[in-house]
Amino acid sequence: MSDQHGKHDELIHPVARPFLWLDSAWLKASMIWIFLAATLGFVAVDFFHHRHEYVHLAEFYGFYAIWGFGAFVLAVMVGWFVIRGLLGRQEDYWDGDETDEEGQS
Amino acid sequence: MIEAFYDISPAWPVIIAGLLAAAFPLHTVRKGLALLAPVLALGLWFNAPSGDHLGGIIELGGFTLETFRFDGLSRIWGLIFIIAAFINGLYGLHEKDRIADAAGLIYAGAGLGAVFAGDLLSLFVFWELTAISSVFLIWGARNNAAYKAGLRYLAIHVLSGVLLLTGAVIRASETGSWAFDETLSIETLGGFLIFIAFGIKCAFPFLHNWLQDAYPKATITGAVVLSAFTTKLAVYALARGYAGTDVLIWIGAIMTAFPVFFAVVENDLRKVLSYSLNNQLGFMVVGIGVGTELAINGAAAHAFVHIIYKALLFMSMGAVLLRVGTVKASELGGLFKSMPATTVFCLIGAASISAFPLFSGFVAKALTLAAVAQDGHWIVWLVLVFASAGVLEHSGIKIPYFAFFSHDRGHRVREAPVNMLMAMGIAALICVYLGVNYGVLYELVPFPEAALYYQPYTFDHIVGQMQLLLGAMFAFAFLVRMKWYPDEKRGVNIDTDWLYRRFLADGISWGHAMFGRLWAFIGNLIGGFRSRTGGKLFEVFSPIGALSRDIPSGLLAIWTSALLAIVLLIAYLAP
Repeated sequence: MSDQHGKHDELIHPVARPFLWLDSAWLKASMIWIFLAATLGFVAVDFFHHRHEYVHLAEFYGFYAIWGFGAFVLAVMVGWFVIRGLLGRQEDYWDGDETDEEGQS
Repeated sequence: MIEAFYDISPAWPVIIAGLLAAAFPLHTVRKGLALLAPVLALGLWFNAPSGDHLGGIIELGGFTLETFRFDGLSRIWGLIFIIAAFINGLYGLHEKDRIADAAGLIYAGAGLGAVFAGDLLSLFVFWELTAISSVFLIWGARNNAAYKAGLRYLAIHVLSGVLLLTGAVIRASETGSWAFDETLSIETLGGFLIFIAFGIKCAFPFLHNWLQDAYPKATITGAVVLSAFTTKLAVYALARGYAGTDVLIWIGAIMTAFPVFFAVVENDLRKVLSYSLNNQLGFMVVGIGVGTELAINGAAAHAFVHIIYKALLFMSMGAVLLRVGTVKASELGGLFKSMPATTVFCLIGAASISAFPLFSGFVAKALTLAAVAQDGHWIVWLVLVFASAGVLEHSGIKIPYFAFFSHDRGHRVREAPVNMLMAMGIAALICVYLGVNYGVLYELVPFPEAALYYQPYTFDHIVGQMQLLLGAMFAFAFLVRMKWYPDEKRGVNIDTDWLYRRFLADGISWGHAMFGRLWAFIGNLIGGFRSRTGGKLFEVFSPIGALSRDIPSGLLAIWTSALLAIVLLIAYLAP
């Protein structure tokens, strides 16, 4: 097992060592703000430039950002509550068939 | 150009190499064949005459088999199948499994044979060969789950072949034609059966679950090989026979949407990729349903780039499975520290399938979406845009995030073998190359002139696509921050396979039990009747029965006199 940040973990690949910051807490905490800023940046373009689209609805300000956000949330919620909620089963539901992947060559 | 080779389909060197591989015990020879055969096939592909060509005709039992039709549609599919065969051969270079080596080559060759088939009979032969050869890639995992999944896979695919042959025979009896072309129609019985046969292999909704059942249980290399050929062959067959069939638009739209929900909560990352594959097929099916030149170009281009980036994603998960021993998201995380090159390749595959600008998916998906919008199907277009965000969720974020980042589970493993890295590197290179130099892709599509009218790299398209992707990525970060993103946990989600693995299986068990009881009841009934009747007969005829008893002579005299009286009476009365 590694230490918390892996800096003293000798088993870490040398190529990966300069990128350990990817696992840092500050980056994980900042992700939401980085993506929000980037999204708003591209939405802001709509206020200065009129996009021409085949579907007129898509010309609305920030249409794709709104649709992308909504679609993602919908997919996760339906997956979580409908699929896992109604159709989720224990791993051994199919006579344990889904658990034995170790024999693969 | 060598004219002598004009009639030789690129399928033959690959199939022959597969047969030879089955015979050679030395694995270095087999691996040499696995790399050499696609190169020879590529040579034949380049050697084919320009323009439409029909060759390789074999007369057999009164039938004419056309084994090499080379035109705009088969050209692009043939090329990508050859490239995929080479990459697969490279990826599996370290494995020492004679059956898998042979099966992989025969399967790839059969896929090529089907693509270049000019008639339905030839198509059927290669169609069934893909099914029979590919099942060994599932059984190669050598465990009980894979064995049972392989049986189910084989049964479903043989059924597809039977439907194809039945449809072809009915159509031939009605029209006298075995042609495999745009004259196929779902409005005739034969055409409809063929359509369903294609639909099974294409994983239409409710006919799809063989894919998510079998692919995750295949061998590491087997899953990569399987992801390339079967379903894309079906897409090709639909494009060849049913382009412009309206119902495909809605079938495809449903295919893009429903797998998204299953993929979100699936724990097995190779199964996530199988759902993702189903979703991607939906885009191609929609394009075929629309049927315009732009839409067919979109479907063909999408199939081309999809085979590469999907193989890349399967290869990266295969490398994880090889090194860690599992691809369960709940058991993974932090692997970028051990497998940095695999991580980068997986990220390139994820960016491509998510359609980030400068990656191959951006160009291909745009063609289909533009064709759908141009044709006025705006509801379907909205579904496709929804599905595009869904793709980002399961293949763009979930796969790389939970395998290589997320919580570090402390797995400190070796990087993937060199041959695997080389195969992934080539696939990644193609993903980027086609994303930047999309003109190469445009030259390969069935209608290159029509493709030139669509420019993917417009300012509006880039801004719109980045809004979509970043909006979805923000949603991910938001849900994780709010702890509204479901934890990865061990478990399974039942799908339509429940119908045949549980409902039908239980129904058959119940029916078997009921039949057993009914049979026992009938047996008891017959037994009772026989014992009663037998008892009576025994009482009369047995050695101790009534007829065997000593009869008093007086009684016998009376009976004899009565019979004599009756005979005399009849003789007297008779005229």
